[in-house]
Amino acid sequence: MNLGDYLLGMLSVYGSTVLFGALLVGCVGVPLPATLMLIAAGSFVEQGDMNLWGVLGLASAGAILGDNIGYALGRWGGHHMARRLSSWVGGENRLREAVKWSERWGGMGIFLSRWLLTPLGPWVNLISGITGYPWHRFLFFDVTGEVLWVVLYVMLGRFFSNQVQTTQEVFGDFTWLFVGLLAAALLGWQLIRYLRPVSLPKAEKDKILVKDAT
Amino acid sequence: MVILAFLLVVAVTGLFAVHTVRHALYWRLHRDDPIRPWMSVHHIAHSYRVPPYVLYQAIGLPPIAHDKRPLRELAREQHKPVSILIGELQNAIAHSRPPYPPPPPQPPPEGGRAP
Repeated sequence: MNLGDYLLGMLSVYGSTVLFGALLVGCVGVPLPATLMLIAAGSFVEQGDMNLWGVLGLASAGAILGDNIGYALGRWGGHHMARRLSSWVGGENRLREAVKWSERWGGMGIFLSRWLLTPLGPWVNLISGITGYPWHRFLFFDVTGEVLWVVLYVMLGRFFSNQVQTTQEVFGDFTWLFVGLLAAALLGWQLIRYLRPVSLPKAEKDKILVKDAT
Repeated sequence: MVILAFLLVVAVTGLFAVHTVRHALYWRLHRDDPIRPWMSVHHIAHSYRVPPYVLYQAIGLPPIAHDKRPLRELAREQHKPVSILIGELQNAIAHSRPPYPPPPPQPPPEGGRAP
């Protein structure tokens, strides 16, 4: 009997409060099968065992609260962590760059890690807190991403209510396939830039041609 | 370094693609979800499109409306491993589908009307 089976059994008996608790703890960083629980909850809604709005409301609330606990841990308990992180990544300058990067792309990172790249979510929460990403912006991207995640998987569960396990396996694979394709595209682009001959500005080229002629 | 990382990512993504396609094909061809210990009898009946009373009969229990107990709990109550319970359910499901005749309508409970 694994933890996932145990939690799903509890979800079947005790309903949405189990979903709230599991998503809260899962979003702080404890590895729990949160996506499978959302799909199962959707299936229970379809079978008339759970209320749709109760599931959507409690699941979103648990996930958002868990994310904000992670953010708070990074923000207010993270000074020691930030010092260690800066020594790992190569000093204060690197950390400052990370803060800049987070300010520029952080919103997209937070949004995507809520519903698509969910295993990264707890890390993004901590890093957002450590780098001091503005809380109101964090909350905006967090709420939109988490509500999308919850609605998406509960609706998948309703639609494929007789195939809970298989739906989770197939859609889990699609997520990692998307991540792999994205990473391959980014690295491929870097590779093309790296292999392409450096094109000099016209003035520089003219200078070299003149030198060669003399 | 970038070339190595690129090749590694392409290889891993390729493996994932094969895995995903195999899963999706399995999904298309086999419409049944595997029975797990967290599932209730009603959930399994819904998944396999079988009347719940057929499954209750198979595991020697009277049909209970809105019974949310997972198989794990039923197995504990019956003092048998959950794998045995799953085997009994799978057997009942196989016998309620073609080439076997469909299961008869639910018999009325003793001394009352059918629910």
